Amino acid sequence: MNHIVITYLLYLAISAGLTAWVAQTLFKNGRVFLVDVFHGDEGLADSVNHLLVVGFYLINLGYISLMLKLGYDVATARESIEALSWKVGLVLLVLGAMHFFNLYLFSRIRRRATLSDVPPPVGPDACTVVREG
Amino acid sequence: MLTLHVLYDADCDLCCRVRAWLEAQPKYVDLAFTAAGSAEARGRFPLLDHQATLKEFTVVSSGGLVYRGAKAWLMCLWALREYRGWSLRLGSAELMPIARRVIAWASGNRFRFNRYSAWVGRG
Repeated sequence: MNHIVITYLLYLAISAGLTAWVAQTLFKNGRVFLVDVFHGDEGLADSVNHLLVVGFYLINLGYISLMLKLGYDVATARESIEALSWKVGLVLLVLGAMHFFNLYLFSRIRRRATLSDVPPPVGPDACTVVREG
Repeated sequence: MLTLHVLYDADCDLCCRVRAWLEAQPKYVDLAFTAAGSAEARGRFPLLDHQATLKEFTVVSSGGLVYRGAKAWLMCLWALREYRGWSLRLGSAELMPIARRVIAWASGNRFRFNRYSAWVGRG
């Protein structure tokens, strides 16, 4: 096997491993959030959690696959490592951005859920009689 | 189910556009609109000072609680899904005096805004 094929294989292995690690972190720790949001409904929380993680995998693996091609030849081990670090760095940045986006989604869902039970911010000025109809 | 009855000035173009905007927003709490000082308003709230509702924006909850001026606006925001967070922020002790002043100024000048009111929703 020449250097380029080894670089590609290493790139795929490292990127897929990192994606799986971040997705597992999200899956484990996001669940607590979602159970709270859905008022203890664990079935619904697990379902939403699973759907979010599937989306996360699809976007990241899609990006990794699209970014595979190097566009230049790699002749030495040094060039291989340099190319690899550039590619993996990009994948890490995208993973980081996706991770923060997911955190933002969690906090947004949670804020929505807690806001629905909040009492009015101000007290009334007076009371009156209301006739229905 | 809680409903907030909104008594708005039907003679004011800006108020009617704000009403149309409020009607179009997704809500936590139903808003029912009644022209201030109208026969309908007098029939529904027999003990309310209707002359005062023409001067100051008023919201009455289905339970009979009356909110006036800035408080009435905050109650409208509180009813909306997209703006409940804002109603809590503006209703805090730090921002409430500013909100009260801005709203008093805007409602005192509301007829002057008629020519700009096309900016607010489509009524």
